[in-house]
Amino acid sequence: MARHIVGKVAEIGPGQRKIVEVEGISIGVFNVGGTYYALRNRCPHQGAPLCQGSVKGTTLPSAPGEYRWGREGEILRCPWHGWEFDLLTGRSLFNPHKIRVRTYEVTVETPEEEPAVPTYPVTVEADCVVLYV
Amino acid sequence: MSTLTVETPAPETAPKRRTGIIDCDVHPGPRSTAEIKEFMPMPFRDRWNGGGRGFFGNPLHGARLDSNPPGGGGPGTDPDFLRQQLIEEFGIAHAVLLPRAFCNLHPDPDLGTAIAAAYNDWLAATWLDKYNPDGVFKGSITVAHQDPQAAAREIERWAGHPHFVQVMTDSGARAPFGQRQYYPIYEACAKHDLPFAIHPGTDGMGINIQPSPGYPTHYIEWHTCLSLGFQAHLVSFLTEGVFERFPNFRVVLVEGGSAWLPGLLWRLDAEWKALRAEVPWVKQRPSAYLRDHVRLTSQPLEQPEDSRDLLRMLEMMDAEHLLMFSSDYPHWDFDSPTNAFPKLPEALHKRIFELNAREWYGL
Repeated sequence: MARHIVGKVAEIGPGQRKIVEVEGISIGVFNVGGTYYALRNRCPHQGAPLCQGSVKGTTLPSAPGEYRWGREGEILRCPWHGWEFDLLTGRSLFNPHKIRVRTYEVTVETPEEEPAVPTYPVTVEADCVVLYV
Repeated sequence: MSTLTVETPAPETAPKRRTGIIDCDVHPGPRSTAEIKEFMPMPFRDRWNGGGRGFFGNPLHGARLDSNPPGGGGPGTDPDFLRQQLIEEFGIAHAVLLPRAFCNLHPDPDLGTAIAAAYNDWLAATWLDKYNPDGVFKGSITVAHQDPQAAAREIERWAGHPHFVQVMTDSGARAPFGQRQYYPIYEACAKHDLPFAIHPGTDGMGINIQPSPGYPTHYIEWHTCLSLGFQAHLVSFLTEGVFERFPNFRVVLVEGGSAWLPGLLWRLDAEWKALRAEVPWVKQRPSAYLRDHVRLTSQPLEQPEDSRDLLRMLEMMDAEHLLMFSSDYPHWDFDSPTNAFPKLPEALHKRIFELNAREWYGL
């Protein structure tokens, strides 16, 4: 598993996202209430750039005629056909067992290693969001 | 090992190899209502201020969220971006354009006709001319079927244009399309060998009847049941003998679904065996008229869980001859040319994605 720094923590604040390309794969890194999640930027349906979709809540299971809004900020909706995915698990809402998008591990770390070019002075300014692919 | 990654590079803009696909349902739009009004004479320029099709707005998003041109303007308004996102991305040889004028819901036939004419003038000046140096774009002549004589004159006005390949109307209507009040339109279509394309819209809006028992409550109901109007129009064309009266007349059912076709035709053929005498002008089993007179576009393709069911369905509906690929770009239910269909036999793929439309439109 390779380690990729995708940016500073301050760059991807709560409710924000960053779409990066690592090892030829487009991946969306999302900050959901301070926790980071990473999903493959390709909808399993027809290949749309899933991570460009809206992030909102959704209507929770309810009795006919009742509306219960919840999970604000945790649901990613495909920008084409509107399929909903749980940002926390990558699973679709309509069929979580069969339809899901690949997720990746994300951590917040303080970089320790020296960057590859040692002749330049480097200071560690902030924690980084690190993606494992 | 640690690597710093860069942001996603800009999408590949270099043209890919043309694959020859013909996309039979693409929606360009004006950047503003003013762009259409420019082509509209007074007093209609004053009276019309745009407007959609009324109720049943999509609760999520009506167009692909990634279809907004970076330079501004709504989805389908920027020819360069449309070329990049659709034409070049998928190697589209021709896109058949169907602008959405929604002129068919107006009670005033003169207003409906004026809107149709303005959209036609706009399309001819922009997407079919200024934006069309290579002839990729083919257009549809919008007509207001509230006034069939005026619609026929509008068709005459554009007949012979190098890039208008069909006449179009909304599926919303006050009566099934096989009935005789519409015949001036069909006569003009037949005379100029222009197919008559029916696209969903304005059903149950303005003066048009909702083709379900009353109004549905939700978008999901309304959108699923759009195919009901198409089925009624098709049965009407066949039983009224429109294709006997106008042997040259052809119909395209755009975005009305297609998986319903085999069952409907089995049913109609069966009825015809006994009831033929009621409609003696229907000289052959109704389904036999389809190959010469009717085509269906593919989007939204019905998607069974098991793709083998879809392959069987395509065979049952004579997709090899009747089905023409369409994406519905830039709308939300866009069918990707590369991902909407399961893997098809090469020859069938070529028929659906290219040859059926090429032959039908003479491209």
